[in-house]
Amino acid sequence: MPLISTQAIILSTLRYGETSKIVRLATREHGVQSAIAKGASRPRSRFGAALQALSGGQAHLLLSERRDLHTLTGFDITTLPVRLASEVSRYATATALAELMLRVAPPDPHPEAFDTFEAALALLEEAPPPALPALTLRCVWALVGALGFAPVLEVCARDGRPIDAAGTLPFSTAEGGALCRLCAQTHEVTDLPAESYQALAALLDATAALPALDARHASAHRRLLSRYIRHHLAEGATLTALEFWQQPAWSVG
Amino acid sequence: MSTLDDLVTEFARLPGVGRKTAQRLAHHLVQQPGERLARLAQALVQVAERVRPCTVCGNLAEADRCPICLDPRRDAGLVCVVEEPAAVASLERAGEFRGTYHVLGGRLDPLSGVGPEALRLEQLVARVRAGGVREVILATNPSMEGEVTATYVQQLLAGQDIRVSRLARGLPMGGDLEYVDGVTLAHALSARQELR
Ligand SMILES: [Zn+2]
Ligand SMILES: [Zn+2]
Repeated sequence: MPLISTQAIILSTLRYGETSKIVRLATREHGVQSAIAKGASRPRSRFGAALQALSGGQAHLLLSERRDLHTLTGFDITTLPVRLASEVSRYATATALAELMLRVAPPDPHPEAFDTFEAALALLEEAPPPALPALTLRCVWALVGALGFAPVLEVCARDGRPIDAAGTLPFSTAEGGALCRLCAQTHEVTDLPAESYQALAALLDATAALPALDARHASAHRRLLSRYIRHHLAEGATLTALEFWQQPAWSVG
Repeated sequence: MSTLDDLVTEFARLPGVGRKTAQRLAHHLVQQPGERLARLAQALVQVAERVRPCTVCGNLAEADRCPICLDPRRDAGLVCVVEEPAAVASLERAGEFRGTYHVLGGRLDPLSGVGPEALRLEQLVARVRAGGVREVILATNPSMEGEVTATYVQQLLAGQDIRVSRLARGLPMGGDLEYVDGVTLAHALSARQELR
């Protein structure tokens, strides 16, 4: 059984048997993996308190060739994002991202998705509270994009024809982006007001300034993004963390 | 033997019990005298029939209210919020706390589908709104999910005119710094207190 060492972020842990835990990890080099951490539930385990969801570090894995369950022999923790728990929106976004990694990311290695996820956790931890309504949306869109599902906004998502960016913009979840006037006549669309369209474009562009979103607009953007994920990425699966993230409850405090 | 297998299966469903321990327990039991097994069975039936959540705090009770809520010497102005009834038992063993409790019945865990509606949060807010509560002590577990549950309750109670505090995170008593893991140590450092 080969022993590997890889950068990893813990997505979830589950008690297993009397003393062990099953850990699901997003790894940079080997995709999402499941591993058993033997003895991790013992009071004096060598894993200590390191096996917490969303912790980052170096995972040492004994790969099993026949099974999907590997053995975690060690986890050298480098980041424990405790500040994520200091505000519900930070944590809700982090778990929605973890859920996308867990249920939607392909099992094969995907360094770009890993890097986007890791960078998002750091941003969510550090961001000042006023930035959160827009930043939480940008983080989720960024992972959707890294997984290859970024919406098309510059031209018509169906036929590449130029779109009319003045006034409202017809946005089609199913077609994956903006539609030209012609396509909009025959497809189900949401008409985005110019202001929302500009905000969406800014959210999708990591180099743009974060748009200012009040609670109502942030909530509408979360609904749009959740719908988009359910259509393109979830394949019928229920994404409970995404549902929690989408709820307006945590943002009104 | 399917009767014995059924028993093993039931034991294996218990927290922290694996298949091996379940088998050991089952084999131990079948070697006991019949009346001992009958007493055990009777105890299980009675627990199922009589024990239910306290209507005030959610702790385990055999009546409408638990013994703690019924005790006039307990300070009802002080409410300690915990995840499970087991935490009430632990805090009671410590013997320091003279207030009352509120058992949430779990913790926020969006990835496992546990949202705020699954917890006894409305009842907590109603208790505070009813008046008489001076302080809410958040004593959820020191895990990521426990921390965010505490944060959620804190945000929920933000508009109320009460004190909200969080149980300190720190080092185990009787321990040795050398053997404390880095995460716990980092927490203890960040939550250090000034000595006056
Ligand atoms: Zn078109
Ligand atoms: Zn009670």
